[in-house]
Amino acid sequence: MKDILTIIFRLTLSCILAATVMGTTFVLTNKAKKHNEHVKEERVAFSLLGFEGEAPESVAMNTVYRYVVSRAGEQFIGYLMPGENDGYVFLQLDLDGNLVTSDEVNLTDEKVRQQADREGGIMNAIGPGNAIRFAEQFQVISNSDERAAYLITGKFPGYKTNIAVMMALNTDFSIIGFEVLEHEEDPGLGGEIEKPYFKNQFKDKPFEVMRDIDVIKEPIPNEYLEALERDLPPEQIEEIMEKYRGNDIYALTGATISAVAVADGLKGMIKKFAYRVSLLDSVTEKNESVSVIF
Amino acid sequence: MKKTTLLIRLAFTALLLCLLPVFAMADGLIKEKSFGEENEIIVKFAAPVDPQALQNFDNYTVYEEDDPDIRISLERVVVAEDNMSASLFFENSLNTTKRHIVSIAGISGKAEETFAVAKSYLGYLFSVMIASLLINNFVFTKYLGLCVFFGTSKRKTTAKGMGVVFTLVMVAAGLMSWFFYQYILKPYNLTFLQIVVFIGLTSLTVQAIDTILRKVNPVLFNSFGVFLVLVIANCVVIAVPLIMASNEYNFFETFMLSLGAGGGFLLALYLMSSVSERMRLAKIPPTFQGLPIAFIVAGQFAMAFLGFSGLKLF
Amino acid sequence: MANDKSNFQLVANGILAENPIFKLALSMCPAVGISTTVMNGVMLGIAVLFVQVFSSVTISLFKDFIHPRIRIPTYTLTIATWVTVIDLTLAATMPEAYAKMGIFVKIIVAFAIITMRLEMFACKEPVSSSFWDGLGMGLGFLVGMVVIGAVREILGSGALLGYDILGFKPLLFFILPSAGFFVVGLMMAFFNYIEIVYKKSREQR
Repeated sequence: MKDILTIIFRLTLSCILAATVMGTTFVLTNKAKKHNEHVKEERVAFSLLGFEGEAPESVAMNTVYRYVVSRAGEQFIGYLMPGENDGYVFLQLDLDGNLVTSDEVNLTDEKVRQQADREGGIMNAIGPGNAIRFAEQFQVISNSDERAAYLITGKFPGYKTNIAVMMALNTDFSIIGFEVLEHEEDPGLGGEIEKPYFKNQFKDKPFEVMRDIDVIKEPIPNEYLEALERDLPPEQIEEIMEKYRGNDIYALTGATISAVAVADGLKGMIKKFAYRVSLLDSVTEKNESVSVIF
Repeated sequence: MKKTTLLIRLAFTALLLCLLPVFAMADGLIKEKSFGEENEIIVKFAAPVDPQALQNFDNYTVYEEDDPDIRISLERVVVAEDNMSASLFFENSLNTTKRHIVSIAGISGKAEETFAVAKSYLGYLFSVMIASLLINNFVFTKYLGLCVFFGTSKRKTTAKGMGVVFTLVMVAAGLMSWFFYQYILKPYNLTFLQIVVFIGLTSLTVQAIDTILRKVNPVLFNSFGVFLVLVIANCVVIAVPLIMASNEYNFFETFMLSLGAGGGFLLALYLMSSVSERMRLAKIPPTFQGLPIAFIVAGQFAMAFLGFSGLKLF
Repeated sequence: MANDKSNFQLVANGILAENPIFKLALSMCPAVGISTTVMNGVMLGIAVLFVQVFSSVTISLFKDFIHPRIRIPTYTLTIATWVTVIDLTLAATMPEAYAKMGIFVKIIVAFAIITMRLEMFACKEPVSSSFWDGLGMGLGFLVGMVVIGAVREILGSGALLGYDILGFKPLLFFILPSAGFFVVGLMMAFFNYIEIVYKKSREQR
C-alpha cells in the first residue's frame, strides 16, 4: 500500500515537472510559431513579385474575395473589393457578366480577413434571402495607384495527391512566375516541378501561348536548359528565352504526368482569371456609379 | 496459425461491409455518374435516352460548382449502343478536386436533369487506406518501424502474428488519439502536448489489449502476447496519431489510415519474412550476412513499391 | 557499478565502437528516411543529440527518486518532454528546415536508442559520465546521419550541403526514397568488410 502511495506521489511530481518544462517552452515559442505560419506565403508572394524582403511603400496589395451568391434558384458571382471611399463594396454579376447590384459593405481592414466577420458583413449588406459561398480570393498589386500585377493561388490534382501553387501574373496575364506551395510528388521525379529549370519554362509566357499550352515529351534542348538554369550571361539568357517563348512546355524526364498536371492546372487558372478580370474591368468602366479600387 | 487467417478474414469482411453503400446509390433518371479519363465524365441512365438530344451540345450546361459563370465546353459525346449511358468528353482536362455540376436539357419529362459529379466520399476514404497500405507504405516509403521490421521478419508465423497485433493496436490507439485530439487537445489549445498524450495513449492501448486478451482468449494470448511488449513506443504506432493530427483527419479517415498503416506493416513483414526464409538457404558473402543483406532486400521491395505511386482506384 | 572509462572514451565509444546506426542498428528509420541531404542529417542529428543528452542528464539527476517499478513510464515521460521542447523550438526558429523533416522530429520519442541508453547507463551512473555518454551516442547518431547524407547527396545530386561540386548528377537513383536502404546496407557491408580484413591481418601477425 505504501508502495502505491509513493509511486503515485513520484509520478505526479514528475508529471508536474514535465508539464512545467513543456509549458514554459510553449509560452516562449508560441508567438514565433504563429508568426511563421503566414511568413512563408508572404515571402513566396514577395519573391514572385521581385520585392526583396519588404514591399516598397508605393506598392499596395488589395485582396478581392469571390463568392457564389444564390437566390431564388439563380446564381450570381459576387466580388468583395475595397471601395474608393472607406469600407468595401460587394459587386454582384450575373452569369453572363452583367452588373446586377453593388452594395456598400461596412467592414474594417482587420475584420475582412476573418471569414466569419467578412461573411456576416456581406449578408448584412445584401439582405436576407441570399446564400453565399466562398469560392476563392486573389490579390491585385498596384504600384503608385497603377495596377501592376495579380497574385492568384490554386489547387489541382497531380500525379499522387493535389498540387497547390501560387502564381504572379502581369496585367496582360503573362506569367511573372509561379511557386509550388504544396505537393507530394516523388522526390527526384515528379518532385522536380519545384526546380527552377522547370518553373522558369513558364516565365514570361504570354497569355496567348498559355491558353493552348501543351507538353512536349522530349528532352529539353541544351541551350534552353542552360538558360533555364541561369548559367549564362543575362543577355544570352534573354535571347534564348525569347526564342522558346512561343513553344510548349518540355516534360520532366520520368514524370510526364506531373508536368502535364502543372501545365494544365496553370492553364485553367489563368484562363478563368483572365476572363473574370476583363469582365470586372468592363463592368467598372461602364458603370460610373461603381466606385471600387481595382 | 488458423487464428491468424480467421482474423484476417474477419477484417476483410468488415471492410467489405463498410464499403457496401457504394453500390447502392440511385435517384431518378441519372443512375450513376463519375469522372472517367482526365477529360471525361461518364453518365449512366436508368432508362434509354434519346441519343439525338444527347448529341446536341446546346443541351448541356457544365461548370465547376465554384465557377457557375464559366462553362466548360464539350468536345464530343459518345453514347452507348443501348442508349443507357454516355461519355462526355471535354476540350480540356477536368480539375477533379472540384465538384462539377452538369445539366442536360431535353432528355426527360423535366426541363433539365441536373446533377453533381464529384469524387465519391467512400471512394476517397478507400483511397486513404490504399494510400497508407501501398502508395505510402509505412515501412517501404515512409521508413517507419524499421527496428521491429528487421528484428521480427525472420519467420512467416512471427511476421503474421506481429502484423495482426500491430494493426489492432494501431486502430485502437489511432481512434482513441483522435478523440483526445479533437475533444481535449484542440479545444483547450493544448496541441503542443500531443507527443506526450499520444505516446501515453499508445502504451495504454497496449497494456489494455494485453490484459483483455489474457482474460478473454488465453489461447490467442499465448500466440500473440509476446509481440505486445515490442509494440510499446514503436515509431509505426506513434506515427498514425501524429499524421492524423497534422492532416486534421476526421474519424473515418483516421480509421482508414490506421487500418491501412497496420495492413501495410503486416504486408511488409510478410513479404520480408518470405524472403528471409529463402535467404537462410542461400550462400551470402560473409560481409553481407545479417543486416546488410536484409537492407538490400528491403531496398528492392521499396523500389517495387515505388511502382504503386500514382495508383488511383477511385 | 562503477564506471572506469574516461569521458573521452565514453564519447568515442558512442561514435565508433557502439555507433547507434552502423553498429547497434537502432533508430534506423530516419537514417533511411530523410538522409537525402547532409543538411537534413545534421538537423535531425542535432535534435537527437539534444534529446539524448538532456534525457540522460535528467534521469541521472533523479535516479534515486525514480521508483524501480515505474522506471519505463518515467523514461518515456522524460523523453517525450524533451522531444516536445526541441519540436517547439525548431518549429519556432527554423520553420523551413522543420518542414523538411516532417514527422521525424516528433518520432524521436519512439527511438529505441534513447530509452536503451537511459536503461543501461544513465540510471546507474553519475551525472557527468551520463552527460558524456549521451553526448557520445548523440554524436554517433549525428555522424552516421551526416555520412549517409553525404554519400546520397554526392551520388544523387552531385552536390554537398547544397553546393554543386561535381557539376553533374551521377545517379538520380540515390535521391529516390528507396535508395536509403541500399546505401545503409552497402555501408554496413563495407564496415563489416573492413572489420574482417582487419581481423585477418591481425591473425597473420
